[in-house]
Amino acid sequence: MSRDEEGIALAAVGLGKRYRRRRGPVLRNCSFRLPAGRICALVGPNGAGKSTLLSLAAGLIRPTEGTLTVLGTTPAEARTRFAYVAQSKPLPPQLTVAATLRLGAELNRARWDRAAAERIAYGPLAPGGDRDGALDPTSKIRSLSGGQRTRVALALAFGKRPELMLLDEPMADLDPLARRELLGALLGEAAEHGTTIVISSHVIAELEGACDHLLLMGGGRIRLGGDPEQLLAAHTLLTGPARDLTGHTVVESRDAGRQLTALIRPGGPLPDDWQTAAPSLEELLLAHLRNPDAPDLFTEETVETDENEENARA
Amino acid sequence: MSAFAVKGTAEEARALPRGPVRGLPWTVLRLHRAALVVWVTFLLAAVGTLVWEVEVIADSVRERIASCGENGGLCRLTTLVDYSGTISWASTLVYYSFFAVAAFAGGALIGRELENGTAQLAWTQSVSPTRWLAAKLAVPAVLLVLGGTVFVLVFRWAWAANRDLMGDDWTFNDVFAARGPALVAYGLCGLAVGALAGVVLRRSLPALGISCVVMYLLNHNLEKHRVDLWPTVASGGSTVGGLPDDVWQVGDGSFHTQSHYWPMHLVETGIVLGVAGLATAAAFGLLRRRTA
Repeated sequence: MSRDEEGIALAAVGLGKRYRRRRGPVLRNCSFRLPAGRICALVGPNGAGKSTLLSLAAGLIRPTEGTLTVLGTTPAEARTRFAYVAQSKPLPPQLTVAATLRLGAELNRARWDRAAAERIAYGPLAPGGDRDGALDPTSKIRSLSGGQRTRVALALAFGKRPELMLLDEPMADLDPLARRELLGALLGEAAEHGTTIVISSHVIAELEGACDHLLLMGGGRIRLGGDPEQLLAAHTLLTGPARDLTGHTVVESRDAGRQLTALIRPGGPLPDDWQTAAPSLEELLLAHLRNPDAPDLFTEETVETDENEENARA
Repeated sequence: MSAFAVKGTAEEARALPRGPVRGLPWTVLRLHRAALVVWVTFLLAAVGTLVWEVEVIADSVRERIASCGENGGLCRLTTLVDYSGTISWASTLVYYSFFAVAAFAGGALIGRELENGTAQLAWTQSVSPTRWLAAKLAVPAVLLVLGGTVFVLVFRWAWAANRDLMGDDWTFNDVFAARGPALVAYGLCGLAVGALAGVVLRRSLPALGISCVVMYLLNHNLEKHRVDLWPTVASGGSTVGGLPDDVWQVGDGSFHTQSHYWPMHLVETGIVLGVAGLATAAAFGLLRRRTA
């Protein structure tokens, strides 16, 4: 691997995937890179290709075109070093919780951390106390609720002590308390071991504040990529008299008579008679999702190809 | 109360599970424990029945025949059918159990795992899809070879023990297959065909159905053309009216003598193993092409 590849958890170049020849591609010319050690939110509407991208990264399917580099190598060669939790949280229904954790140990003999797995599944070892929601080792997987199964699936992921966690909608089945616990555990894992974490979600709010990297998917590619603060700083929400916006990149604009409201990437100084404000993350993402023609934007470190360089923020 | 808290590491808790069977083979045995129990019970019952019939029942059958008296033709026949029929049931059931193997392989072993995503769960642990499929096939294959070999040896002994009490001969479908490696080969072929159907269809019920249909077509055609698997002996003038009892007569007057049993049997075994090999290779090829 070149020096350039070091410290990059995920890198895609021209990635494309179509499932059936006659249907349109799910991913198309998707390029980005994710530095190692980040907690990354992969957001986008339903059907944007988030699950497909994570399946490709996990080596479960092959891309139709382009390449995807995982931890500096192919997904197959990185297999022992990443963990993946699928959206449907598949687990053998006939096993008990304890047998499922044993399965994780048997399939990851080289790097299994039993304590880490059991902490997620059964809760921390607290003297003399059962805790709410902790799993019984003897319950069968088929008897568990969706949230409890998510907990077992995450226990397998933590037990592997991965360098990269690919989590496909891990929050969907969890109650608000369990969500906070999961986020806390993920942040702790990242802080303690430098684990890179990718969490996909279609609910932006549940990840805001926890992530320090954002990938917005739309139309089968990454539309926005980078540090959320840098992405926000690159945009301005402005209100003012309708006027020519040439020289600025317009993401979204709404005309209300003579008044204009627009989300733009300023390309130069703005006139004084425009009121400006910093957009919220949600406003930023929604504006991009409503306007598929808005050009993609990547902050410097996430640029993968030369084509995107013109979009990169200086 | 934080289930996801990451604090405190007990070093001894890193200890890996011990046991004679580890890793992937352990997971295959554990996931399919119910099927394993059923199969072992079935095989033990079949072997036990053969031993029981030969060692215990045979003597009493002779006594009953002796007590039938001079004109007890029907009495003698029903007694023989009892004995011969039980042995024939055991060999028939074990011989055709390759249908159950094919259904299991297509349905539970491969198809269901690909359908509900537990196969993909294994592939995102430290196990590649190829190694996963290899273990999924190797563990049952070893058991099928061991169990099948035991049954064939016991059946050969049981079938030969009391020929005077048996109404069948070497040309019967089940006897022909169960007296040699063809029985094992059919089991392995069912496993391979089921695995291929599971990998192709990725759904348990269709894979179960297709693998049984394929095994039926293969088995039915081989049984129908068994006589063609080796050149027959033309019926010459010297044997007219005096053919030995144990020949397999073919429609046009030519026949197989019992000395043709092994060549015919081994040709069929070879064909069945060939199909098993092709199906296995195709399953691996397809899985490798589809996954990274």
